Amino acid sequence: MSLSASTLGKLRHIVGAKGLLTTQVDLAAYSFDGTSNWKGMPEAVVFPTTAEQVSQILKLATEQGIPVTPRGAGSNLSGGSVPVLGGIVLCTTRMNKIIEIDTANFTVTTEVGVVLNDLNRELARHKLFFPPDPQSFLAATIGGCVSENAGGPYAVKYGVFKHYILGMTAVLPTGAILALGGTTVKNVTGYDLPQLLCGSEGTLAVITQVTLHLLPLPPARQTVLAVFNEVITAGQAVHRVLAEGILPAKIELMDNWVIRRIEEVAPLGLPLEAEAIILFELDGIPAAVERETEGVINICRQEGAMEARAAYDVKEAENFWTARRAGFSAIFGNSPTVFAEDVTVPPSRLPEVIGRIQKIAEKYDLTIVILGHAGDGNLHPCVLTDEKNAEHYGRAEKAVHDIFSAALEMGGSISGEHGIGLEKKQFLKQAMPPEAIDLLRGIKKVFDPSGILNPGKIWEEA
Amino acid sequence: MSQLLSLDEASRCMKCGFCMSSCPVYNVDHIESHVARGRNVLIRWASNSSIPVDGAYGERLSYCLLCGRCEAVCPAKVPSTAINVAARTDLVNKRGLAWLQRFVYRGILKHRNLMARLLGLAALVPGVSVKDGKPLRHLADSVSIFTKGLSIPKLSRPFLSTRLPSRMTPPKGVHVRGQVAIFPGCAFEFFFADMGERMALALVEAGFEVVYPQGLTCCGLAVRSAGDLTTAQLMARHNIEILSHFDHIVTGCATCSSALKDYGRWFPDNDAWQPRASSLSAKVSDLSEFLVSEGFQPKPAEPVTITYHDPCHLKWRQAIRDEPRRLLGSIEGLKYVEMEGADECCGLGGAFGITHREASLAIQAKKMQSIRRTGAQIVVTSCPGCLIQLRDGARRHGLPIEVMHISQLIGGQREQPHRLRSAGDGGGQSPRPKSAP
Ligand SMILES: Cc1cc2nc3c(=O)[nH]c(=O)nc-3n(C[C@H](O)[C@H](O)[C@H](O)COP(=O)(O)OP(=O)(O)OC[C@H]3O[C@@H](n4cnc5c(N)ncnc54)[C@H](O)[C@@H]3O)c2cc1C
Ligand code: SF4
Ligand code: SF4
Repeated sequence: MSLSASTLGKLRHIVGAKGLLTTQVDLAAYSFDGTSNWKGMPEAVVFPTTAEQVSQILKLATEQGIPVTPRGAGSNLSGGSVPVLGGIVLCTTRMNKIIEIDTANFTVTTEVGVVLNDLNRELARHKLFFPPDPQSFLAATIGGCVSENAGGPYAVKYGVFKHYILGMTAVLPTGAILALGGTTVKNVTGYDLPQLLCGSEGTLAVITQVTLHLLPLPPARQTVLAVFNEVITAGQAVHRVLAEGILPAKIELMDNWVIRRIEEVAPLGLPLEAEAIILFELDGIPAAVERETEGVINICRQEGAMEARAAYDVKEAENFWTARRAGFSAIFGNSPTVFAEDVTVPPSRLPEVIGRIQKIAEKYDLTIVILGHAGDGNLHPCVLTDEKNAEHYGRAEKAVHDIFSAALEMGGSISGEHGIGLEKKQFLKQAMPPEAIDLLRGIKKVFDPSGILNPGKIWEEA
Repeated sequence: MSQLLSLDEASRCMKCGFCMSSCPVYNVDHIESHVARGRNVLIRWASNSSIPVDGAYGERLSYCLLCGRCEAVCPAKVPSTAINVAARTDLVNKRGLAWLQRFVYRGILKHRNLMARLLGLAALVPGVSVKDGKPLRHLADSVSIFTKGLSIPKLSRPFLSTRLPSRMTPPKGVHVRGQVAIFPGCAFEFFFADMGERMALALVEAGFEVVYPQGLTCCGLAVRSAGDLTTAQLMARHNIEILSHFDHIVTGCATCSSALKDYGRWFPDNDAWQPRASSLSAKVSDLSEFLVSEGFQPKPAEPVTITYHDPCHLKWRQAIRDEPRRLLGSIEGLKYVEMEGADECCGLGGAFGITHREASLAIQAKKMQSIRRTGAQIVVTSCPGCLIQLRDGARRHGLPIEVMHISQLIGGQREQPHRLRSAGDGGGQSPRPKSAP
């Protein structure tokens, strides 16, 4: 299918000539996202700058039955912003104004195309803190993060995007522009529609503006590095820290493979022989941070850490966290195809699930790299493979399947933060009863009767 | 032509998108084919024929300042600028150069003498050139129609090579530490001869015998960046031949130093010139880098507030960030304020500033805001390209600020900044007491 000249003319009329891309090279740059294998060519890319323009685009698409795929920075890891059925890519990156920072009420109202890092920079000027920190913050837009309900290392203590959404402006596929929620933390007014849209992966409505709840910046921070010679003991140490009543702001795990790659790319002096490194961040008032730092170090030592110490200074702490961020890149840079999984288990079962994943790697003779947000039980086991090698790829697929089964058996989920998109839709049946999937379909139908918005995502067609 | 860098390198990009928010061009229009991530994918697909290698593709390749920010943030260390240049080179090999480029690169830039003669003729036209001491007006607006409105500085009269003695020695009493060859580049030779003189004077004051080798040509970066590797190599070989018997080569042009330091990568491993190019590259320094390593202490200056603009070619391509600040900070009397966004691009990016004028002006406007916020009276930089663009911007945005090259604050007799003439001129007074004509 290809869009008619008259449809393109209408789109051009809505967003202006500079707001529409139709050249093949330009379209190709919108045919992928952060995943390694999903592709789909759009027929047009539009850059609306207002909710009204979004409304007109969606109305037109609904009238003509054209698929519309919302896209922020296209950095998600689930195929969510890939236009698998062609049609229009609706890109929000030019809706990029921070509208208001309310320092008295600790809220920010912003357009959705603002990049998370840019928002954080602006908030830091006001000594404000927006905790959810997906490690793609240099790329990801607020709209993409809300739509994926993203979160990062801070989730242990501070939660994820959904915990900070107070209100939003959303445009329905029929063109209706709705102001949902409000500006207060407490708000019980009918069904919580902003929460429904959060994590809906662009399948229900296009969000154009959000109001987020903020916190004051914690006055003190400390980073602790703990080195273990077994991944499982590392998991146990994390569990004990939490059980003893210390709630670190971040608890991140990297395994030996990741440590080695980081040392190859950007040497930081991490111990190469270590099987696992855990990075903790403690934050709060200085006295508490000091006590908790000591507590974490002691517990790690008791649990058999080869080394446990506080970062020497802010610079070293910064380097450790940069290394952690480099982890994913190291993985993708070293393997033609990667299944970057995102399973979550209750934190107490972390050591167990790590053990299971190691067994799965042995069973299928694969490299499975583990890094993740150990504090909240969210792990990223990455299965390294090559889609061009069918036999290897087949084993990798089986391994992924087994990892999911393990997580679900332990009361966990198949995606902690990356969403389902295309990447995991075949596994949804495993994770949800059929009635619940029907409910999802029903909700989708109410929002999007013609099924134009981000079609083909989350569940398999019956 | 053997390939220097395989286009397969582009497949190391894991599409994380981290480069996007740091790219000055992407931040103007938010179009993904204009930033490293999108471009790396396009380059890969073009090389396996999934998308056509046509004019539109070439246009997307050109939509890049080659500033290097994307590489600095890239967690996978993808050499995106080198990949882009390799793709441009590939395109030139397949489709040839546009006539105008062919004329400029192969006809003029390559032939310094011809260039000198043409520019020398132009300099005779009243209003086009700057002579020491003469009242200065703005650019010859007639020239700006070729640059889509970018203010081009006036030509210096005479050019630097005729101003400087072939050899300058440190004053009596100063311990002689060695000899340096200066590589002034086209800008100092033809447009900013006074700054070239000051660079030479700073080096002399630092205790070096300064030689301006005869017969140098353009560094070739513009030509290399446009994908004309053959001509660029020719120019590099010419310069290497002349410069190779010096121990230190110093330039005050961030673009030239980044090019000379890169010569080693302009020749494939199996080329006989490769080792010569590499060993030359190892001897090249930026002016501030060299002076700081030699412990140079500039003289005190009039009290005035200054700030510094990081040229992309210095900060991102050569990781030189502290040295200019150290030098400026050590000048007694000056008040240094750091600019928020000091390392934001000025928007010139060589030919980009002319070919993609609209994007360039948008980037320039942001820079002007950052400069304005500092409240400084002088913005100092280390690259004549930036200097042209910043002066153009200051004029366009009515900024009451002077734009100076770092050499003007550290070499020779102190300039008195607040009494300098309008921000747009390319000249300035002679740093030497009334010796030049
Ligand atoms: C290196 C790397 C590290 C990552 N680390 C983390 C991490 O630590 N934690 C985590 O949670 N995630 C992480 N992610 C994935 C994360 O989901 C995305 O980076 C982010 O949420 C997507 O933002 P985006 O602007 O790129 O959105 P896109 O990728 O463009 O879109 C994401 C989804 O949201 C939809 N969408 C986008 N904008 C809108 C809108 N305005 N209205 C409606 N729908 C919209 C799209 O259709 C798509 O389904 C990581 C990704 C990468 C590449
Ligand atoms: S070199 Fe500069 S302009 Fe080019 S893609 Fe990288 S960041 Fe953007
Ligand atoms: S930062 Fe590097 S790896 Fe990431 S998209 Fe850009 S070029 Fe690719």
